[in-house]
Amino acid sequence: MAELYPSLTQCAIVAAAFKVLLFPAYKSTDFEVHRNWLAITHSLPITEWYYEKTSEWTLDYPPFFAAFEWLMSQAAAWIDPAMLMVNNLNYDSWQTIYFQRSTVLVTELVLVYALSRFIKSSSLANKPAAHVASLSILLSPGLLIIDHIHFQYNGFMYGILILSLVLARKQLLASGFLFAALLCFKHIYLYLSLAYFVYLLRAYCLDPKNVLRPRVLNTIKLGICVVGVFAIAFGPFVDQLPQVKDRLFPFSRGLCHAYWAPNFWAIYSFVDRVLITVAPRLHLSINQEALSSVTRGLVGDTSFAILPEVTKEMTFGLTFIFQLIPLVKLWVRPDWDTFIGAITLCGYASFLFGWHVHEKAVLLIIIPFSLIALKDRRHFSAFRPLAVAGHVSLFPLLFTPAEFPLKTVYTTFWLVLFLFVFDRMVPVPERPRVFLFDRFSLLYLTLSIPLVLYCSIVHRLVFGSQRLQFLPLMFMSSYSALGVVGSWVGFMVVYFTT
Amino acid sequence: MAPSTPSSHRPRKKRTIATPPGSNNSLIIHTSDTQQLPAFPLVSFLWAARAGVSQWLILPLTLMVVGLFRWAVSLWGYSGHNVPPMYGDFEAQRHWMEITSHLPMANWYLYDLQYWGLDYPPLTAYHSWLCGKIGAIFDPSWFALDTSRGIEGPDLKIYMRATVFVSEYLVFIPAVVTFLRRYTRMHGVHAWSASIALVAILLQPATILIDHGHFQFNTVMLGLVVASLDAILAGRMLWACIFFVGALGFKQMALYYAPVMFAYLLGVCVFPRIHVFRLLNIALVTLAAFALLLTPLLYGATSSQARELFASSPEPPLLQALSLSLDKKSLAYALLFQCTQVVHRIFPFARGLFEDKVANAWCAIHTFYKLHRFDASLLQRASLGATLASILVPCVVIFRHPRASLLLPAMSCVAWGFFLFSFQVHEKSVLLPLLPMTLSLASDGGLSKQNRAWIGWANILGCWTMYPLLNREELRMPYVVMTLLWAYLLGLPPTSFEILRSRTSSDIKPLEPHLLSKLIHLAFYAVMIGWHVIEALVPPPDGKPDLWVVLNALIGAAGFGLAYLWCMWKLIAQCRQIEACVADDDNRKKKQ
Repeated sequence: MAELYPSLTQCAIVAAAFKVLLFPAYKSTDFEVHRNWLAITHSLPITEWYYEKTSEWTLDYPPFFAAFEWLMSQAAAWIDPAMLMVNNLNYDSWQTIYFQRSTVLVTELVLVYALSRFIKSSSLANKPAAHVASLSILLSPGLLIIDHIHFQYNGFMYGILILSLVLARKQLLASGFLFAALLCFKHIYLYLSLAYFVYLLRAYCLDPKNVLRPRVLNTIKLGICVVGVFAIAFGPFVDQLPQVKDRLFPFSRGLCHAYWAPNFWAIYSFVDRVLITVAPRLHLSINQEALSSVTRGLVGDTSFAILPEVTKEMTFGLTFIFQLIPLVKLWVRPDWDTFIGAITLCGYASFLFGWHVHEKAVLLIIIPFSLIALKDRRHFSAFRPLAVAGHVSLFPLLFTPAEFPLKTVYTTFWLVLFLFVFDRMVPVPERPRVFLFDRFSLLYLTLSIPLVLYCSIVHRLVFGSQRLQFLPLMFMSSYSALGVVGSWVGFMVVYFTT
Repeated sequence: MAPSTPSSHRPRKKRTIATPPGSNNSLIIHTSDTQQLPAFPLVSFLWAARAGVSQWLILPLTLMVVGLFRWAVSLWGYSGHNVPPMYGDFEAQRHWMEITSHLPMANWYLYDLQYWGLDYPPLTAYHSWLCGKIGAIFDPSWFALDTSRGIEGPDLKIYMRATVFVSEYLVFIPAVVTFLRRYTRMHGVHAWSASIALVAILLQPATILIDHGHFQFNTVMLGLVVASLDAILAGRMLWACIFFVGALGFKQMALYYAPVMFAYLLGVCVFPRIHVFRLLNIALVTLAAFALLLTPLLYGATSSQARELFASSPEPPLLQALSLSLDKKSLAYALLFQCTQVVHRIFPFARGLFEDKVANAWCAIHTFYKLHRFDASLLQRASLGATLASILVPCVVIFRHPRASLLLPAMSCVAWGFFLFSFQVHEKSVLLPLLPMTLSLASDGGLSKQNRAWIGWANILGCWTMYPLLNREELRMPYVVMTLLWAYLLGLPPTSFEILRSRTSSDIKPLEPHLLSKLIHLAFYAVMIGWHVIEALVPPPDGKPDLWVVLNALIGAAGFGLAYLWCMWKLIAQCRQIEACVADDDNRKKKQ
C-alpha cells in the first residue's frame, strides 16, 4: 500500500506556517481570559485559584486545565513576567501574544498525534478515507477561526477526545481513562458523557453476549481509573468543592448566548420574531416587556413575546430525551461505528437544545461526525449541510474587517476542497437514499452565498452599521440552525437504518 | 471531409513517445519496488491531481491558498509604520492617492515635492487617482488634502492592503495564469507539472514580502510584463508592445527588461527575413501607446490655470537643456513643461550611484575602494558602460535568435546585469531578475533538481538580502515563515538536503546540479544561516554599526553575480540546443 499524500505532517507544517502568520490577527477577550488564568495559577497559592476575582474573567474551567495553565506559566515566566501579574489586566505585549499564540500551536500537536493514531487504527481498505477525514479535521476552519484567531485551546482538547475515541476501538479502559481526564480539562464534554457511559458499561463492564453477567474485574479497573482521575483533579480543592461547582456551572446566564448559536432556540426566537409582526392580525397576546427590550437577540436574556418562555428544566429535559434515543441503539449494538454515531448525536442533542450554548460548541458535532462521514454516501449527505452551516455560523465570531477575507476564503477553500474530495471518495450506500434529501441540501448550500454576502456587506450598505443590527445575525443563525437541524434529522434516519 | 489515413498519424505519435517532453521524471521518484514517491513536498500537495483533475477545481483552490498567505502577510507591519515625519512607502503611495484625487493633473508632478513628490510614471498616477477616489467613498479623511499626511489606522491599512491585493489579482495573477498555460503548452509540459509550477511561482516569497509586507505595487508592473510575454507567445507582437509600454508607464523599473524586448522585437523583424512593415507597425504602436499614456496628463496641461502654474514654476532641467525660446504662457510651453517635468521626476539623475546598502557591484567595490573620490558624471558613465557590457551578450543572442523560449533566460540575465551594474538600484529591484527566473520553473525540465536548486537558491538569496529592510519594518516573522515555507515546499535547503543528494537513476542524470554548484549552494546556505546567527547574537563593533548589513550586501552581490553567470550559461545552452534541433529537422527534411 502506497503512502498517502500529502501526509499529515506535511499539512501540519504548511498549516502551522499560515497560523504563525496569523499571530497579529484579531483576538477576542478569550486571549485575556487565558492570560489571566496564567497569572492566577502562577502567582497565587492553589487554594485561591477558584476564589480570585480581580478580573471579570475568573477561572471557570476544571482543575486539569488550571494545572495546564500553571505548567505553561512556568515557561511564560522566562518570556515576559509582566503577563503573570494578576493586576496587569488586558496586558498584551508582543511577547505575550507570541507566547500565547505559540502555546496553541504547540499543544495542537496532540491533535496531530491523535489523528495519526486514527489513520493507523483504521483498516487497510478504509485508510484513504481515514486519511482524508483526518486532514479535514486538522485543517478545519472551525479550529482555525476559534483557536488561532479568536483564541482558545480546542485543538488540544479535541486531540484528547479523538485519541480517546480511537482507543475506544480496542483499549476501552484507556479510552475511559482519557475521557475522564478530558472532563477534568473542560467540562463541556459532559455533553458526550452519556454515550461514553453506555458504551463502556455495555462493551466493557458487561459480558457482550449476556447483559446480565457483569465482568467484575473490568468494572473495578474502570472504576478505579475514573475515580482516580477525578480524585487527582479535584483532590486539592476538596474543601472548596461548592465554590468550584459555582464557578464551573454558572446558571445565571440566559437561554441564548450573545450571538445566537444556530440551534433549535434560534429557530424558536426567529418564529417568535416573525409572529410579532403578524400577531395583530391573528389576535395573539404580546408580552410587551419582551417587545420593548432593545437588546433583543443580541444580549443574553432573550425573552419571548408570543411563544411560551423556555425554562432551564425544559432544555435539560429535551437534551436528555434526545440523547437517550440514540443510546438505546448503542446499548443493543455496542460497536465502534455506532458509538461514534451516538457521540455525534449526543453532541447534536446538547447543541440543539442546550441552555446557553456557544456557537463554538458546533465542533462537538462536526469533529466526531468527520470520523464517520466517509462511511457511505448517506452519511456524507447528512454531513454536508452540517459542514456548511456549522462553519458559516462561526463567522460572526470574527467581526473585524481584516479577518473577513481570512474567514470567508479559508472556509470556502476548505468546503470546496473537502466536499469535492469526500464526494469522490464515499462509497455508494447499501440502502437507497432518503427521498429528495440531496436536492434540498444542494439548494441549501447555494443559499449560503447570497446570505453571507448580505450579512457582511449588503446589509451595512443598505441600513448602515447601526440600524437593525440584529437582523444579519438573526438571518445567519436561523439559516445555520436550519442546516444543523436538517442534518440532525438526516443523520438520525441514517443512524437508525444502518 | 477526407478521411485521414491512420498511417499519417502514427509517426507523429511515435516521436512523442520517443522523446517525452512533458515527462514527470523530475516530480516522481521511482524506487526499486515500483513505488512512487513525490520528489518534493509541493508535489505531494498536488499528488491527488496527478491523474488529471479539472483546472476548474485546481486553479480556484490555488488562488485561494496563495491569496490567504498574501492577506496573512499583510496583517503585519509596513514600510514606515509609526516613523514620523516622513514615514515610508506606505505613506508615499497613500500620499499619491491623496494628491492625485484632489489636485488638477497639472499639479501632480509639481505639488510639494519635498514630501513624497510623485516620482513614478503616469500609469501609477492614474492608478493612485482611482484608488484615492474609491477610498474616499469609505472614508474621505483617509485622503483629505494635506490634513491626511501621516495618517494611520487599522481601517486605512486594510483599505490600502486591499488595493494591492485587488490590483495584483486583476493584473499579475491573470497574466501569470494565462502565460503559464500558453508557455507550458508550447513546451509540452504536463498540466500537472504546470499546476505545481504555478503554485511555486505564486508563492515566491520575495514578491509577497515586498508588495504585501513592505507595501508597493510591483506586481502590477510585473503583471504587465508577463502579459506582454504572453502576447509574444501568442504571436500578438503589437499587444506585447502595448502591455510593455503599460509596464514602463507604471514603474520605470521595467526598463530592466526593455533591452531584451527591444532586441527581440527587432530580431523578429530582421530574422529570418527582413519585415519592414512589421517593424514599422511595432514602432508606430509603441509610440501610440506612449502617446495614449501621456494624453490625459497633456490634456490636463492645456487649461489656463495649468499654464499659469507652469509659467510660475521653475523650469525642469531637461527643458532648460533644450534652451528653447518659448512664450511661457503658450500652449507648446505647457505641453513641453509637463513632459519634461514628468521625465525629470521619474529619472532622478541627480541622486548618487547607489542608495543604502545594495547587493550590487558598486556597493561591493565601494566597501573596499571608496568611490566618492570620483566625479559623479564619471561614475554615471562607468555605470552605463558596465551595464551595457553586461547585457550585450544576452541582447545579441536574443536579437540573432528571436525565439520566445529564449526570452525568460535572456530577461533574467539582462535584469541581473542591470541590478548589478546600473545606477540607483534598490534592494527591492531584485524582484525583476527573480521573476523571469522563477517563471522558468514552468519550462520543460523546469522542476528538475538542477533548475530548482539554482532558481530556489537565487530566490532565497534575494529574500535574504532584503532582510535588513524587512527587519526595520517588523517583518521578521513573515520573512522567516514565507522563505522557509517556500524552501520547504520546493525541497530546498535549509529545510531539506535532498536536492544535493544524487539518486542513482540513469535517465535523469543530466538534470542534476553539478558537484561544483552543489558546493557553492551549500556554502551560501551555510553563510546565510551563519550571518543570521551572528546578526542576532553579536552586536556590530563600535564605529561600524552597519558592518552586518554591508556583509550581507557583499555576500549577496557575489551570489547575484553567480546567478547572472548561470542565467547566461542557461541562455547559451538553450540557444545551442534549439539550434541543434532546428538543424536536425532541416537535415531530416532534406533527406525526405
